Amino acid sequence: MSDEFSTIPLADVLRAANELVSAGLIEDYALGGALAAIYYVEPFTTYDADIVFVATDKTLSAGIPAIYSHLQSKGWRVEREHLMVNDFPVHFLAASGLTEEAVRHAKAIVYEGVLAKVFRPEYIIAIAAGVGRHKDLARIEQLMTQTKIDNALLDDILRRHNLRLPNS
Amino acid sequence: MKPGMRHKLARLPFEEKILKVGELIRLSRRVKARRVREASSNYPQSGFHNPKSS
Repeated sequence: MSDEFSTIPLADVLRAANELVSAGLIEDYALGGALAAIYYVEPFTTYDADIVFVATDKTLSAGIPAIYSHLQSKGWRVEREHLMVNDFPVHFLAASGLTEEAVRHAKAIVYEGVLAKVFRPEYIIAIAAGVGRHKDLARIEQLMTQTKIDNALLDDILRRHNLRLPNS
Repeated sequence: MKPGMRHKLARLPFEEKILKVGELIRLSRRVKARRVREASSNYPQSGFHNPKSS
């Protein structure tokens, strides 16, 4: 994988995701993963962006081939499981269940003049609790200590999705 | 890092945080490249080969 990007081209990523919505290739999307967490907490190292989308195409492929060909026509490259923009890897992940709810309740933001959406911290915590890797637990701790959490909302999400926070 | 500093960083504008993530990535790659170079020079007979240094 090339690793020569000099800055994270997040505005380009979000602009492209907005274009996918306009083109009807996806219904909605939000920034998820580490970059969504960084919206709320101190910056830390991450090497890709996760765009979580609600598919327009409800078949098993979730419209991913059409998304890939649209972005490739705009100059993006495919490298293993990533789409690359300016040598920066981006994951397009089809939402379902908890992640779809996270997209639908995502916070609207403006990043370098581009309208976008980012997962709310309560959903990032719930998703991390469901995955449970060491880095997810660290992310939960960061979010709980560095940003304001709506505990009632978090409890509701965890209860409905049958999830538990570590050590609870 | 002290918690106060971490909280201060958490309150930076998102754009500024993304720039800092880029700096962290560059720094970690420099450190990694240096370690590979050092390992390569410390064990020249080991067959260890760094393709980026050739």
